[in-house]
Amino acid sequence: MKKSIGAPPWAPWAFLALPLILYAVWVILPICQSLAFAFTKRDSIVYGIQWVGFRNFARLLGDPTFWLAIKNNIIWLALFLLVPIPLGLGVAMLFNNEHRGNKVYKTLFYLPMTLSFAVIGTIWMWIYSPDFGVLNGFLRAIGLEELAKPWLGDKRYMTGALVAVGVWRQVPYVMILYLAGLKGVPAELVEAAMIDGATWGQRLRHIVIPLLAPATVVAMTISIIDSLRAFDIIYVMTNTKARAAEVLASYMYTSAFGYSDFGYGSAIAVVQFLITLAFILVYIGRVLRDETER
Amino acid sequence: MRKASLSLLALFGIAASIGAQPLVVQSYMSDEAPKNAFAALVAEFQKQNPAIKVTVNTVAHEQFKTQLVNYLTAKDAPDVLTWFAGFRMQQYAMKGLLEPLPESTFPGGSFVKEFPAAFKPAASYNSKIYFMPQSWYWWAVYYNKDVFAQYKLSVPKTWDEFLSVCETLKQNGVAPVSIGAKDTWTAGGWFDYMNVAVNGGTAHQKLTGGTVSYTDPSVLKTFGYIADLAKKGYILENAASYSWQEAVTPLVEGTAGMYLMGQFIMDSVPADKKASIDFFSFPKVGRPDYGVDTPTDGFMIPAKAKNKAAAKKFLAFIATKKAQDMMNVTLGRLSANMTGAIPNAEAERGLAMVKGAAFAAQFYDRDAPEEMAAKGMNAIVDILQAPDSYKDILTALDKERVRIYADLK
Amino acid sequence: METRKNGPDARKTLLTLLFYVFSTLIVALWLLPILIAVFTSLKSMDEIMGSSKMWTPPKVLHWENFTRVWNKVGMSAYVLNTFLITVPSVVGALLVSSLSGFALAFYRFRLNKAVLVLFIAGMLIPFQMLMIPVFRLSDALSLRDTRPGVILFHIAFQLGFCTFFLRNFMRTIPFSLVEAPRIDGASEWTIYRKIIMPLSISSLAALGVLEFTWIWNDLLWSLVLIQSDSLKPVTLGLANMQGEFVSYYNMTAAGSIIAAIAPLGVFLLFQRYFISGLTVGAEKG
Repeated sequence: MKKSIGAPPWAPWAFLALPLILYAVWVILPICQSLAFAFTKRDSIVYGIQWVGFRNFARLLGDPTFWLAIKNNIIWLALFLLVPIPLGLGVAMLFNNEHRGNKVYKTLFYLPMTLSFAVIGTIWMWIYSPDFGVLNGFLRAIGLEELAKPWLGDKRYMTGALVAVGVWRQVPYVMILYLAGLKGVPAELVEAAMIDGATWGQRLRHIVIPLLAPATVVAMTISIIDSLRAFDIIYVMTNTKARAAEVLASYMYTSAFGYSDFGYGSAIAVVQFLITLAFILVYIGRVLRDETER
Repeated sequence: MRKASLSLLALFGIAASIGAQPLVVQSYMSDEAPKNAFAALVAEFQKQNPAIKVTVNTVAHEQFKTQLVNYLTAKDAPDVLTWFAGFRMQQYAMKGLLEPLPESTFPGGSFVKEFPAAFKPAASYNSKIYFMPQSWYWWAVYYNKDVFAQYKLSVPKTWDEFLSVCETLKQNGVAPVSIGAKDTWTAGGWFDYMNVAVNGGTAHQKLTGGTVSYTDPSVLKTFGYIADLAKKGYILENAASYSWQEAVTPLVEGTAGMYLMGQFIMDSVPADKKASIDFFSFPKVGRPDYGVDTPTDGFMIPAKAKNKAAAKKFLAFIATKKAQDMMNVTLGRLSANMTGAIPNAEAERGLAMVKGAAFAAQFYDRDAPEEMAAKGMNAIVDILQAPDSYKDILTALDKERVRIYADLK
Repeated sequence: METRKNGPDARKTLLTLLFYVFSTLIVALWLLPILIAVFTSLKSMDEIMGSSKMWTPPKVLHWENFTRVWNKVGMSAYVLNTFLITVPSVVGALLVSSLSGFALAFYRFRLNKAVLVLFIAGMLIPFQMLMIPVFRLSDALSLRDTRPGVILFHIAFQLGFCTFFLRNFMRTIPFSLVEAPRIDGASEWTIYRKIIMPLSISSLAALGVLEFTWIWNDLLWSLVLIQSDSLKPVTLGLANMQGEFVSYYNMTAAGSIIAAIAPLGVFLLFQRYFISGLTVGAEKG
């Protein structure tokens, strides 16, 4: 790293002052409070703090719903890594050319990302409804009656059905990230890979994918964070009662706001935070180490 | 001249708005019918009290519940909140978050001048009144008269008759019992009515009070009946996929026969179908007496409200016969005010049913701590989906009971 | 017209054809849910209830669903409120985070990485965890149920992601562009204001599009921080509407579409910056 010529030592702090103050007051302080709440009793946050030590955490270990939430989060995580990333890459490669109208395709495909979760939830409810729903209607129309299920009413399909909605929204996001990443890949390389059909798979594997590694890291990071924080889709599509589809974030919400047990809810949030942090630290550590000094 | 009078008017307008006391009402009445009825009521109050400027903020019901503690503890809390009588109100009174209503608040000079004395306990805590009741309604088994006529069914009075009605309906491809179990609270009615019918009111109070185990043989018996309905296939298929309103549609269309629900179900029945829908009292299960769920809705004032004088004035207005009629006649509910008009023949019968009852509960989630009720109602929905394992479900539920009630102390 | 039949060209034509076929298929598949919403918003309730095929286009276009939602439900006021919250929030978040992004990208100081990690950690928190503390804080500062209160919170809450994003972009700007003017005696503020900010426009635009979408679509924070109907954004209005018109799918669909127009418009408007602006962020992680 070069010495910063002439920059006074206080200069970075002058720039950081406003952002750091805002951030400290509105984000860091509340996070610390929440950490503290995890060690308090029920709704004592509202009525006067009573400390209970690690009791909330001890209760988590024996709580079947907590383990159900962990299991569901793992399903979210696995599917978010397995489906949107290859699919998003595929769509990005498909659109990444100079054909007339490809901008229109890109724009249209990105549409789901601009919708609010409330809107997404409303639309997908019409798709999943057991009798008039589009999905079952379609299955019946093509003679697959027996595959028509109560997608959101049956424990077995609930999480899968909700993740599908998440994936639907995530693929365009990943596509955009890869499109951005593909800008750094010489077009001729991709063109060549496209035209030279015989070695298409190999070129993809040996040329394009390595060049896209940085974009993949971002896409994976975002998918990890989003899958571990999954909440909104579940909240809107289950009328706030996730039940069999409970994940950590929804269980935190149910405990704190459905059961008025803010202490327990905070404990769940702390666990979720630590799990996400563990995943991300590995990545951040690597990125920061690899960065060239300046 | 005209210009002058206009500016004079404007001046008065400004003066009026400066002098007006703001009154903020936070309401959960987001459904179409109650929202409109309440707006008309507020407009009437506004007309009578031009010095008070009323603002009504409406928040969707489920979201309102999650924000209530915030409203109550905010520095500048709203002046009036919609809420329920009973335990869910009393716990806030106990924590000192509510403003007591002195007897002089009531237009007739005391609570019992306006309302039945029987309403007082659920509106009070520690001998102080905190709650102004507005309307109440009954829960009952709503059914489609056309469907019953088509299959020559008569209203069942006993559990056996009820089961045979269910069987006939099922044989004819009609779902006997509709329930929108996506909203788990719909199961709360089944919990209350079934348990009171099996074990009586006193035992039921002990159960919601937390002193009886959910694995007690008497409670197992109650849930056994519910599990039995599910085992026999009498519950609407895919019930857990529907919100409470969505499950009204099969009842209205005649693809389902019956629906245990509060009177507000009629808000969701299309006007041209209202004549087809009627209700009957929950069938008796081996006991001579019966109980009812009669949730009471009304208003309370946060202790931190800014404008308590205006808030009390508003509540006093709400308590009058005229105001209660305005709301309740429109909605077909019963007025808490003793002199309130009985809106229709249906309400007449509802009232008679309640008067004949040996026991009246508010509702599971108003009588028991919210976490207990929420988990209890989850358990019932689970039982409807897996009736064979109802004992395991109740064993798990009872563990929660022990912890929740211990936590309250 | 001359058509050449040699290998690569035929192959190219085939590839072009394949591009259009596949692109159309996948876009159609992906937009099917949105198409259903558009169709539903233009149908009468009789038509919706009369057939279980929600994917068929409306027989008669019922535009009045939109006018009813716009006027009767008061969507117009909700949409205006959302603009009044979203625009200042996005502008504020971009400006404030450009300061921190600049500081972390161009200065060498001991706590640089620590501050960066602090901002990144904020991206990871389950945000529901903050609902109660943030409510209490807003209440204590008398910012609850005010527009500035919501805006300030949004700005602060988005700082983590924005700082991370802009810092990564700014690190790709050659360091010499900062050093040279410094030697010439330019102040640090001038370097930020006159050199780095103009170079970051496309990146700021891309970030702005993302932030606009997120803040516009926020539901929970408005629920916590806003009490008055007169300040409520469109997402809360929609939630109320779903209670009021629960069985009117056409109205709900129309409301949903109205709520989605602005973020879509912003995306279309800034589209050309969007992908190029994201590029560097994606490359550098």
